[in-house]
Amino acid sequence: MKNRLAMLALLFSLTLLLAVIRENAAAQSAPRPKSYATEPDWNDPQRLIPLNFQQVRGQRLFYQYCVWCHADSTPAGPSNRSNLNPVPPLLNDGAVLNGKSDEFLRDIITRGGRALGKSAMMPPYGDTLTREEIQAVIAFVRAVAQPAFQPVAGH
Amino acid sequence: METMRNPHTFPASSRISFRPRFRRLAPAFLCCAALLLFGQAAGAQEASAPASPIWSPQLNAAERCVTCHPQVPPPSPAQLAFQQPGRVDPLVPHHGKGWGCTVCHRGAGDAAQKGQAHQPALAPAQPLLPARYLQASCGLCHRADLPDTPQLNRGRFLLSEFRCVGCHRLDGIERPYLLGPDLTEIAGKVSPEWLYKWLKEPRTLLDDSGNVTVSGYQMEPRMPRFRLKEDELRNLVAYLSSLRGKPVEPYVFDPKIVAALQNSPDLADQGEARFRQMFCTTCHPLAVTRAGETKLIGGDLGPELTKVGSKVNPDWLPAWLRNPQALFPKSKMPRYEWSDQDLFVVTRFITAKLTDPDLLQGVPKLDAPTPDQIRLGRRLFLRKGCASCHAAPGMKLQEEFGPALASLGAESVSHLHFGDAKIPRDLTAYMQAKLTDPLSVNPTADMPQYHFSSADLEALTTALLSMTGASANSAIERVTVPRKPAEFQPTGEFARLYERYKCYACHQFNGYGGTLATDLSWEGSRAQRQWLIDFLKNPQTLRPSLVLRMPQFNMTDQEAALLADAIGQTLRHPAVDPAAVDPAKFTPLMAAQGKQLYEEKYQCQSCHSIGSGGGYVGPELSNVGNWMTPAWIAAWLKDPQALLPGGIEPRRTLSPDEIQALTAYLMTLRQKEPAAPAAAAGAEK
Repeated sequence: MKNRLAMLALLFSLTLLLAVIRENAAAQSAPRPKSYATEPDWNDPQRLIPLNFQQVRGQRLFYQYCVWCHADSTPAGPSNRSNLNPVPPLLNDGAVLNGKSDEFLRDIITRGGRALGKSAMMPPYGDTLTREEIQAVIAFVRAVAQPAFQPVAGH
Repeated sequence: METMRNPHTFPASSRISFRPRFRRLAPAFLCCAALLLFGQAAGAQEASAPASPIWSPQLNAAERCVTCHPQVPPPSPAQLAFQQPGRVDPLVPHHGKGWGCTVCHRGAGDAAQKGQAHQPALAPAQPLLPARYLQASCGLCHRADLPDTPQLNRGRFLLSEFRCVGCHRLDGIERPYLLGPDLTEIAGKVSPEWLYKWLKEPRTLLDDSGNVTVSGYQMEPRMPRFRLKEDELRNLVAYLSSLRGKPVEPYVFDPKIVAALQNSPDLADQGEARFRQMFCTTCHPLAVTRAGETKLIGGDLGPELTKVGSKVNPDWLPAWLRNPQALFPKSKMPRYEWSDQDLFVVTRFITAKLTDPDLLQGVPKLDAPTPDQIRLGRRLFLRKGCASCHAAPGMKLQEEFGPALASLGAESVSHLHFGDAKIPRDLTAYMQAKLTDPLSVNPTADMPQYHFSSADLEALTTALLSMTGASANSAIERVTVPRKPAEFQPTGEFARLYERYKCYACHQFNGYGGTLATDLSWEGSRAQRQWLIDFLKNPQTLRPSLVLRMPQFNMTDQEAALLADAIGQTLRHPAVDPAAVDPAKFTPLMAAQGKQLYEEKYQCQSCHSIGSGGGYVGPELSNVGNWMTPAWIAAWLKDPQALLPGGIEPRRTLSPDEIQALTAYLMTLRQKEPAAPAAAAGAEK
């Protein structure tokens, strides 16, 4: 009987071990990052940046409204960026945009460049996009920033 | 563990042998119970504010996810970051309260253990939906496309585009206007050799080593590859080449034109010039090789024409171009008004230049079909389900030839047959394996071979997962947002021309029609009559960045005028009142103020160009004074999104005076003066 109990205990622990291994294997078999969607890094298309729901919404809005002037190429071909003076920053340009606060970005998208003493070529989108949509675009900007955006404490 | 999960699986009749078995297993039971209790206690400790489980009879949801995933509204930025347990998606307008988690994320909400709630291996009946297919859940209720679900929308589009609806029942997927070409008279169009090659491998040509090259047809054909054996191929070709209705009469060109053109050395070049001027490439792509790289240039509404000269019968071509609907009533190709000269040079160009002598290389010599072959071919045609998409004489359309997929998204893994496939035993892996190679899970599958990119596979999986059938969760039906059926029915002469030139193939009318070109729902309010007539006669490009242009239909003055009038009368926007703006009141001073606003205050030139200067995001405005109505310009400046929802022109807060000044300025931008000068004199700056 004692032998039998030991055998059972061994069998049980083996089953447990197997279950744990299976659990781990299942977790490892997922090939891509656990995220809602991804955006290729603009400087290195092989690297995918994981995006959450809000950032994905920002991504969609970016490719609808902003890409024409804030990227080097657009879904329709070359970008309008080179036509403009001053040249608008690329949206993933962390060196420029990481230094700006969320409030500043929200303001310039909402009220346009002219209201903030910047280029009037940046039109105001406050009446076109909702507050949540503008927040989503900012979330996307932060996600794709190169060098990566580090949120300041207290943000 | 298995025993613990399914204590009810002991058959009732084995009661006598149950006791000794129970005694043997008792320690295991006790251990499991202890572990379970311990696990739950640990989970409860993690959750700082334990919330009550959710039971929503309306949504058929009962779950205790909140035990481990506390919801703390409003979400902190840390919660918004991915991979954070307890995250709330605040932008989804359905907040977690009352809805719970499993309605969208699935999983076994009533499970007491983490693994059983989440992992497909441990919860085969109700696996958690992987995050990358989450959009499938939006599709449970939203049958119309949502802007935030591009992956789902793409999947639904592909289910329609690749004619999955031809064989499978898929609820809520649009049935295409045309599933596959009508084969009633196919033998008059192509040769048996071409049919052999197409049926063997519709996708590409194979090179000497048997590798697939994309040097033949570059576009992904909608026709999949049916794995046919050599004799099956020959029988099917025999049957198809027996489908010859009335023979195609060679078109007789005007002998004077033939005599004048026949010997000109640049006949094919003239034809190519005409082919380009008529913008055939707006719908039909051509492979173009530049700097060693071959690319497809052109739209994808019609078939690729790079090698069509080696495909179709030379007598069939002019007959088709003159009147496609006479040969194939459901064709979406417009009926162009051809001059004999144009038709002659264009057909010569196609048969001389758009060819490939090697197209039919490797096709064996096909003997004249025997009646037996034809009979067997016809049987095979039905057995392979060809009649699901193609019309053939004496055959009814085969409906639901394949299994219904309307509830595949809720299928339990235990009902799926994985065969010998080395894939995870879960629904999404099954779907992807089946779509990638149908034989991998079932070596005797009838489903033909498709080729999808990995992104498209994900999209298709998402769309299929969104179809859980009515029975799976009848509660969902109550909150379903149905798709609005779109329709546009013109009347009278407008209907005749609309049908002849197939306006709806590219343009949208009140939500109905193609998406290749501008939405024309409000064109009658936007464009001036004379401009419309000129444009229909000779379409110009309006946006500098666009490559595709409207083809030249060679329509008569009378037809153009009729269409312009019909558009002006019927396609009107209720918010654009033509009487609200009177161009006679515009003064040169207003126009000068408008010019200043345009160039300085609002810097419109960042996106619009006039002449050579300016950006090219918006339309070119050099001729806007002849093009758009003043009422439309004023309404557009006031609120662009009211006229074009989702339009990218930002809405600004302009005063009525500013709107008037800008309209006055834009109306002065004309490339030629109108025939009867009605606008303010001295407008040109």
